[in-house]
Amino acid sequence: MAKRTSSAGPHLRRVRLKNGLDVVLSSERSSPTVAVGVYYRAGFRLEEEGRTGFAHLFEHLMFQGTSKVPKADFGQLITGAGGVLNGSTRHDYTNYFEILPAPALEMACFIEADRMQNLDINQETLQNQIDVVKEEVRGNVLNQPYGGFSWLWLSQYAFSTYPNAHNFYGEFADLEAATVADARGFYETWYGPGNATLVLVGDFEEEQALEVVERYFGPVPARRAPTQPEMDEPIPSSRAEHERRDPLAPNPRVAIGYRTAPFGSPDHLPLVLAARILTDGRSSRLQRRLIREREVLLQVDGGPHFPIGDAFEFKGPALFTFEAMPRPGVTTKEAVAAIDEQLAEVAEAGPNPDELLRAKRRELGSYHASTDSRVGRMRELGVLASVHDQPELADQLPELLSKITAKQVQQAVARWLFPEHSTVLHWLPEGEGER
Amino acid sequence: MSRPGRSSELAEVPRPGPVPRLRLGRPTQTVLANGVEVVVVARPSVPRVELRLTVPAGAAVGTSAAASELLRSGILLGTKKLNQEEVSESIQRLGGSLQIQQDQDRLHLSASALAEAEEDLYQLICSIATQPAFPSEELETERVKLIEGLRIARATPQFLAGEQLQQLIYGSHPYGRPEPGETAIHKTTRRQLQSLHRATFRPIAAQLTVVGDVNPRRTVAWLSRVFGTWAGPRRALKVPRVRPKVQPQITFIDRPGLVQTVILIGASGPPVGHPDQIPLALASAVLGGSFSSRLMANLREDKGYAYRVHTMSEAHLRDSLLGAELDVRTEVTAPAFVELAYELGRLATVEVEPEELQESQNYLAGVRVIVLQTQAGLASSLSQVRGYGLDHRYLEEYSDRLAAVTPAELRRVVARYLAPANLTTVMVGDAGQAAEELSRVAPVRVQGRPRPKGA
Repeated sequence: MAKRTSSAGPHLRRVRLKNGLDVVLSSERSSPTVAVGVYYRAGFRLEEEGRTGFAHLFEHLMFQGTSKVPKADFGQLITGAGGVLNGSTRHDYTNYFEILPAPALEMACFIEADRMQNLDINQETLQNQIDVVKEEVRGNVLNQPYGGFSWLWLSQYAFSTYPNAHNFYGEFADLEAATVADARGFYETWYGPGNATLVLVGDFEEEQALEVVERYFGPVPARRAPTQPEMDEPIPSSRAEHERRDPLAPNPRVAIGYRTAPFGSPDHLPLVLAARILTDGRSSRLQRRLIREREVLLQVDGGPHFPIGDAFEFKGPALFTFEAMPRPGVTTKEAVAAIDEQLAEVAEAGPNPDELLRAKRRELGSYHASTDSRVGRMRELGVLASVHDQPELADQLPELLSKITAKQVQQAVARWLFPEHSTVLHWLPEGEGER
Repeated sequence: MSRPGRSSELAEVPRPGPVPRLRLGRPTQTVLANGVEVVVVARPSVPRVELRLTVPAGAAVGTSAAASELLRSGILLGTKKLNQEEVSESIQRLGGSLQIQQDQDRLHLSASALAEAEEDLYQLICSIATQPAFPSEELETERVKLIEGLRIARATPQFLAGEQLQQLIYGSHPYGRPEPGETAIHKTTRRQLQSLHRATFRPIAAQLTVVGDVNPRRTVAWLSRVFGTWAGPRRALKVPRVRPKVQPQITFIDRPGLVQTVILIGASGPPVGHPDQIPLALASAVLGGSFSSRLMANLREDKGYAYRVHTMSEAHLRDSLLGAELDVRTEVTAPAFVELAYELGRLATVEVEPEELQESQNYLAGVRVIVLQTQAGLASSLSQVRGYGLDHRYLEEYSDRLAAVTPAELRRVVARYLAPANLTTVMVGDAGQAAEELSRVAPVRVQGRPRPKGA
């Protein structure tokens, strides 16, 4: 295993095919594996009214076979090649990926190109996957304490317009109402090559990989480029408080979501460091002050797009969220007041130099850890290329973050993380308890 | 749901060559004078270093669940020189991370740092592991955290099912021990923790695994200097033998109002390194290890009964806990159980087609290569197998051993360990809605809310 020769960071190459497919390659030869990911710019937020949960339901249909590869063979091809596959639906994209031994790169490209153009959408598999998704919702939301807390619920209160505020997992009535025609329309509109980014990371020679990409994805017919719907909405100007009762939850929890700085704005990266400074580890502000010193909380965590993503996952309006569990005897209201106080202090005085340094060191360490993993790097490149059109940012981030000053962090916290920007969700056990 | 043959319509699909062989090179190994066993692998893929320090714990020490859990979190409360915030700060300045996990047999400290901070990492981890302070006031907060965490766990159906299954299979053996109760957590004293720490953190069977952008010779020198002064009892600890049981009735934990039934089946299997272990890993993959496995194809992709469907295997020093889990909507509890039993019975009595076996052989070989691609994955895997008395050759030879398994052997091991007659079943759900129909299929014993023992 050769030591990497370049100090300029891993290699990156980006090309666009004639049909509009965006292709990002990062050759990493330290192990004989590859990750292949296809990112479609089609997430929760563009679901139509009456079709909540459709983007995720459709993700399931993408595993149901094509006119060339029947449903039962689809997974077997990947596993039989020694690979694993998965997909995930998020606010502004849906991804599909395989990680495989390097010799299976060509097969993975065939499979992804095939399901980009030949998906077999029929009533039987649609009905089957409606049933499966309903079980997913039961298992992850209805049959668990704190099910869907806070990602699924907080945004429903924190936003005021349908694209941002609907139920992303889907109302059962909407899931059941989904038709084959809906699925075909969604596929035609959002799953064309011009609305997708293909990411290849791993053990390949760049020119050879590009040839394979051209061979399989080149012939995929271009489709009319869709227009992303308008998602922006006004920032709240006063704090809203809501509560939900959970029959399975033994203790109260609380989530606070602040509208956060848009990607690319001057406060965006400072808030990445602010998340570290506030919640990362026992030495973070909130853990140190509120768990140990003041004994108000037992748990606290948070950050941009927490808990299902990071600061780079979103294009439209997004939340910087904290989730906290108060100590027994402390109300969620008191917990919120205590967090407010800590944020006000950072907004006033900023982080100290050591806090800032530690946040940067952690970011650097996690950049390298992520680069070491094919899937980790695929995810970073996929999101940055498909959602923001800036894959090169992945390798620039450590340096950009290293230049951020305490003053920038202070100002970003002051401009975004204050009570009037926020929505509070008190999550309480069923019964008498007060928030 | 029957598996189609490789039809001619798949002729267009380009087929990959074989899964590449894994080569880990020759790790540098040494045993320090105090007994600490050291393995170092240079893997300069990124400028980081991963460290694993493990010691026999849990079943080997045989203490209460409460003390064990408090020891795990108590170690993070600081050393004689650094308080808990300073420990956390120190790790962060190295650009690193620190986690502590405990399985049935060992306690694992997993740490990382930027490569430039390698030596500092070793000093820090050594002092955290060998000189914990267990400050009284902070310990009180850890107790409350632990208790509240367990209250949440006990509201989670999957947790209840797992805890019950272990108790049924292992009885009074430490592997069957339930998670601690509240009283026991309150009663465990600081002095007990200190003595448990001395008993657990003995250098004699401690294992250090380092993987990363390192110079192995220099790394061994640093580790020897830092960990070489660690003293402790010279006697190694032993884990008692298991005498697993089979409970023929379905144990149904009644939680009225749940909308799904969690179905968990399990049995004791062979330990890692036993000749039957790899055939069983293949059986587990065929049954429920991947997107295209039999349980997935039947219960999810054909019937739509479930979303979560998978097999599992939890390795122990003395055996392994093999099993399968599915979460199904309450109304289909009985039919789902029938299909599960059918798939297990079929695998125990009818040989798999060579092609299906081959798919799983490739799958497990490929997944191994994928897991070992990162410094962290290699460090964890190597550290795990070392805990079972094996070394890097086990990882390297894994794919050859997979390839040697025949359909007849696979059927034999399933019949021996995983056939329906060997399995214990636990369900958690709304018994009022599900138990009657289920009782026509198999004997059912309904339990109310389980009360945690004070253990």
